[in-house]
Amino acid sequence: MSVTLTVNGEERTFDGDLRLPLADMLRDQLRLTGTKTVCREGFCGACTVHVDGEPMVSCLIPMGTLAGRSVVTIEGVAGGGAQMNAVQRTLLEHDVVQCGMCFPGMVMTLSACLEKNHAPTREALKAELSGNICRCTGYERILDAVLSISGQEGAVK
Amino acid sequence: MSDASYADRAVMNFPRRDAQDKITGRTRYTTDVGGSEVIHAALLRSEVASARIVRLNVEPARRMPGVRAIATHADAPGLYGIGIADHPLLARDVIRYHGEPIVALAADTLDQARAALALIELELAPLPAVPTMAAALAKDAPLVHPDWKSYAVLAEGSVREGNIAWEATVARGDTDAAFNRPDVTIVEGCYQVGRQSHVPFEPRAAVVSFEDGRFHVHTSTQVPWTVRSVTATVLGVPESQVRVTVPAVGGGFGLKFDASIEPCAAVLARMSGRSVSIINSRREEQMTCLSRENAEIRIRSAVTQEGEIVGREATVLMDCGAYGGEQVFLTSMTAHTLGGNYRLGSARISSRAVYTNTPPNGAFRACNGVYNTFALERHTDEIADAIGMDRLEFRRRNVLGDKDLGATGQVFEGDVLGPMIDRMETLRSKSGDREALADGRLYGRATTVGTWFIFVGLSAATVNLNSDGSATLVTTGVEIGQGTMMQALPQIVAASLGIPPEQVIVKSADTDAAGRDLGVGGGRTTVSIGAASAAACEEVKDKLLDVAAEMLQTDRAQLVLANGRVEIAGRPGTGTTIQQVIAEVESRTGPVSGNGAFTAPGTATALPGCVAGHFLEAIDLPVFAVHDCELAVDPDTGQVEILAYRVVQDVGRALNPRAIHGQIQGGVAQGLGYALHEEITINGNGAFDQEGFETYHLPLAADVIPVEFDLYEGAPSCGPLGTKGAGEVPILNVGATVACAVANATGRKVSALPLTPPRVMALIDDRQPELHHDHISPVWAENTLRSA
Repeated sequence: MSVTLTVNGEERTFDGDLRLPLADMLRDQLRLTGTKTVCREGFCGACTVHVDGEPMVSCLIPMGTLAGRSVVTIEGVAGGGAQMNAVQRTLLEHDVVQCGMCFPGMVMTLSACLEKNHAPTREALKAELSGNICRCTGYERILDAVLSISGQEGAVK
Repeated sequence: MSDASYADRAVMNFPRRDAQDKITGRTRYTTDVGGSEVIHAALLRSEVASARIVRLNVEPARRMPGVRAIATHADAPGLYGIGIADHPLLARDVIRYHGEPIVALAADTLDQARAALALIELELAPLPAVPTMAAALAKDAPLVHPDWKSYAVLAEGSVREGNIAWEATVARGDTDAAFNRPDVTIVEGCYQVGRQSHVPFEPRAAVVSFEDGRFHVHTSTQVPWTVRSVTATVLGVPESQVRVTVPAVGGGFGLKFDASIEPCAAVLARMSGRSVSIINSRREEQMTCLSRENAEIRIRSAVTQEGEIVGREATVLMDCGAYGGEQVFLTSMTAHTLGGNYRLGSARISSRAVYTNTPPNGAFRACNGVYNTFALERHTDEIADAIGMDRLEFRRRNVLGDKDLGATGQVFEGDVLGPMIDRMETLRSKSGDREALADGRLYGRATTVGTWFIFVGLSAATVNLNSDGSATLVTTGVEIGQGTMMQALPQIVAASLGIPPEQVIVKSADTDAAGRDLGVGGGRTTVSIGAASAAACEEVKDKLLDVAAEMLQTDRAQLVLANGRVEIAGRPGTGTTIQQVIAEVESRTGPVSGNGAFTAPGTATALPGCVAGHFLEAIDLPVFAVHDCELAVDPDTGQVEILAYRVVQDVGRALNPRAIHGQIQGGVAQGLGYALHEEITINGNGAFDQEGFETYHLPLAADVIPVEFDLYEGAPSCGPLGTKGAGEVPILNVGATVACAVANATGRKVSALPLTPPRVMALIDDRQPELHHDHISPVWAENTLRSA
C-alpha cells in the first residue's frame, strides 16, 4: 500500500506500514528532523505539524490517514530556506529560546493560532499552548514575545 | 583599560546565536543524528528490583535479523562511581533496581534490536529488596551491596557502612550545652520530599563510533570529561582513547551528569565496527531518571527569646538508590544549604546517602539545596511562631552577614542577604499585594531566604585570534539551553579584546581540542569557564600590546583594545586596527593565541576539626536568593493557585539581564512543579508509577505566572567581572516559599512536598497525621557512624 501526500508543498509517495506515525516518516525517511519526538504520546506537542492547515501532533497520525492531505513542518512553515515568519522573528528578537527542543512545535501551534486570531489575549494564548510543554522557559516570555506582535498587520507572514 | 570600562562593555542583552536554527528546525541534536550511517542500540533492562542472575543466554538474540553486536558485563567489567566505585555498566550477577541494564544490543534498526532483546533468556532468583531508607536503616536490613567493603574508595576521609553509602558530618561548638540552656526554646521538625524528574526534552542519547583505534562519543551531555573517564574506566582502556564531542543539548538540568549509556554504545561500536546510536525512549528516560533524590530530614534548634539560634542539630537522609552516584558527593552540601542562611551558635549535622533497591538518583538543578531549603525555611517559620516573633524579623536578625561564621566555621564576606531582604520589601511594595485575587479562598504569603554556591573547579580555555580580527574561543563547555556559551562567554571575550561579541566564535565541546573541565552545572560555567576565558584573553592582549607599542611608538601602558583597534586610552580612533597588529605579530612570532586556566580559589576554609567525610568543607563562592510568594488555596479542592511570585537574586554582576530573566522565569516554573504537582511514587515492584507525561505532571502554560524579579549586584565574587552563575539558583527556594505560604494560608504544619490537592485537602481537613521519622533518632549522635 502506498500513500501520496504533500509535505511542505512537494508531492511525496510513502510505501510501507500505514500505521507508521507521520513523525517517524518525516524524521527517518525525509530526514526533516525539525519535528521533534519527545513523548510520542501526544502530550508534549513538540512534534506539532500542520495537516491541511490545522496544528496536529504528528506522533499520533498514522501514515494511512494522510492520502491527499497537505502536511507542513517547521522546515516549511515560513516558506522554506532561511525565511522566518513573524512568530519566529519575534521569538528570536525577544531572545526567548533556551534548549530549543519544544520550539518547533511551539512555532507551529502559535503560527496556526495567529492565522485564525490576529489579536489573541494572554489567556487565549495560554489556552492554545496547553498542548505544548516547555521544560526550560516557564512560558511567560514566549507569551510576551507573541503578544508584542498581536494585532499587527500580517502578523503571521 | 580600567575594569569598569571592561565591565561596561561586557554588559548587554546580547541575543543568543543558536536561536534561529532552533526555531527553524535546523539544529541537529544528538537525537537527530541518524540515517543509514548508524545502527541502533537497545538495552535489556531488569523488570524486578532485586534478584540474582542465575542464567543469561544471549545466543538466541544473536541469530535474529539485523543484529550486529551484543554486550554483557564481561565486555565492560569496570566499576565506576563518585567517591565509591560501586556501579557496573551492565549488571554482573546481581540486579539492584528496576530498570537496571543487563544486556546492550545493536541492530540495523531499532525494531530489530528490540525484537532480538525479547529472545534473550534470563533466569533470576529473587532476593529481598530494600525499598525505602527506613527499610535500609532497619536493624538486620538486607544489604544492597553485601560487598561494600570491597569497592575502591575514590575520595579521602570516607565514613560508610552497610547501606550507608556515605556520611558527611559537621560538629561545631557545644550543642549539648546550647540545648541545655535554661533560656532557650527547643523547636523540632520532621520533613520529607519525594523525587523530581528532570525531563529534558532531549533524552539521554549518544552516537559512538570506533575510529583509528579510539572511541568517538558524540553525546548529549553536560560533562564531556566525565563521559570520557567513565567510558575508559568501564571498558578498561586509557582515557586518551576516548574523544567526546557535544552538539546542541536539548536540556539537562543535571540529569546529563550521567554517563551510563555512552559506554554501552561504545562497546557495541567497537564490536560491530559501526556507528552506534543509543537513545533512551521516553519511558526509559522516566523510569531510569537519576532524579532529584527523595529525602527525609529531622531538625532541632535551640533558640533564645530574642531569636538567637544558639544550637542546631540536623540529620538528612538522601536516597541514592541502588548505587552511590552523585548523592555520595551531595552529602557534603547539606552543611552549606541546610546549614546555610543563618548564624548558628553551634551546629551538628549528619548528612547520609542511603542505598535502596530503587533507581539511582542524581543531580538536579540546585541539587540538595531545594529540599534542604524547604525544610530549613519551614523550620524557621515554626521557630518564629514558637517564640512569637515576626517571621521576616526573625530572618533579618539571623541571616549571615559580613564576617559571620557558616556551619562549618568558614567566614562569610559581605552583607548580602540582609540588603536583599530589603530589596524584596521594595519589590513587594512596588507591585502591591494580590490578596484580593484570592476571592474567598484561603490566602497565604511567605518570604524565604536561600543559600547556594557555585561549583568552582577546573576549567580551561584557549583563545585564537584570527587574522580578520575575530576570535575563536575553544573550551569544553556545552550549551544545554542555559545560554552561557552563546552569551556570557562571547560577551566576556569580546569586552576583553575590544571586538564585537558577534566576532567571537565559540567552538562546541571536543575533548580533543580543549583542556579538562568539570562540566556545565552548579552555576559554574560563567564563573569557571568565564575566568579561564578571561585569562586566555589576557595572554592574547599581552602579545598584541607589546607589538602595538612598538608599531605606534607609544607607551604600552597607554594602549587599550577597543572598537576593533589598538587605541590610546581615551582617544577613540587613534592607533591602528586590530587586524594590522595581528598581521605584525604573525610576521614576528606566528599566529596569536592565549591559554587560560581556572580552578577553585580555595580561599574559604572550614574550622579545623569541624567536618568529616566532606568533599567540600567550605564554599568559595556563595550565592543567595530571597523569594516571596502569594497564593490562594481552594478549601474545597485543595488546589493551590500562585497569585504572585517574586525573586531577588544575588547575581554578582548581571552580564546579560534579559538572559537571566529567562533563567529565573524557567527555574521558578520548574520549582512550582516540584512544589505542587511533580510527583514520583515507587510501587511494590520497585518501579516508578509515573511512566510518562500522562502521569508525571509538568507545569503547563496555564500553571505559571510572570515572575517579578530584582537582580542584586555587587556581592563579593571571584568570578570574572564579579559575576556569579545565575541559572542554577532560581529554583532553590520555590518549594520552601510555596510550602511556607500554604502553611500560612491553611494554618497547618506543612512537612512534605509536593503539595498536591489530595495532600492539601488532608491538611485542611486535619486528616494528615504529624510527620515522624522513626528511623531518624531524636538523639543526634545516634544518627552518625562517627560517634557510634
